[in-house]
Amino acid sequence: MNTHPYLRAYLAGVFLPTLVLPLLLAVFIVVRIVLQVPVPIEQAMIFPMAVVPSLFGLWNMLYLASHEWTHLPIGLHGAILPLLMAPVGATVATCLHVLEFGSHGEIWFQACPVPYALIAPGFLAALVVYYLVWKYIVGFLNRVQGIA
Amino acid sequence: MNENDRNRMKELLQKALPPMEGEPERDLWPAMLRRLDASSAAPRIINRTWLDWALLAGLVAYAALFPASIPVFLYYL
Repeated sequence: MNTHPYLRAYLAGVFLPTLVLPLLLAVFIVVRIVLQVPVPIEQAMIFPMAVVPSLFGLWNMLYLASHEWTHLPIGLHGAILPLLMAPVGATVATCLHVLEFGSHGEIWFQACPVPYALIAPGFLAALVVYYLVWKYIVGFLNRVQGIA
Repeated sequence: MNENDRNRMKELLQKALPPMEGEPERDLWPAMLRRLDASSAAPRIINRTWLDWALLAGLVAYAALFPASIPVFLYYL
């Protein structure tokens, strides 16, 4: 199966965010309607729905294109993605009033305060999440698609 | 090298090298591959899986200590 490898890489990349998105939507709806927390759901869903799946797919295509000369393990390749996504996501969130900056920390979704001291550990945790997700889930999907 | 030398050389070579006793009864290559896999797989599993489990444990601990960060992680996934 050597036809359209980049299309298969894109599909393998978008698989996980596309799978997570409805669950995320369900969580946000429950929080807003059942628990009556005023979460700006419409604005909050734009980045996970429009940007994250595409970035995952394109990043996996880049992995396929560059692996021959970088020889970077897929986990490390995935762990680089937050370096790109964190500023883009924060910018989009700020523009859409999903993220606000207070005197003691960030306030996400007008409901989740995150102290400034936790930003660096949180970013490291995000690197770990992406490393594990790319190594085990995207790597598995790439093997299934025959492009690993 | 004339014909006599060639025959003499052939005779010496046949004496020096023992004759082959046919092919082995079964294909030995799969067993060889299994042996190579067994010797190389064990250290890889120990080293890498140990690290990944440690990272996962760290993540769970982080999420338990700071649950407000979970929606932010989901936002980026």
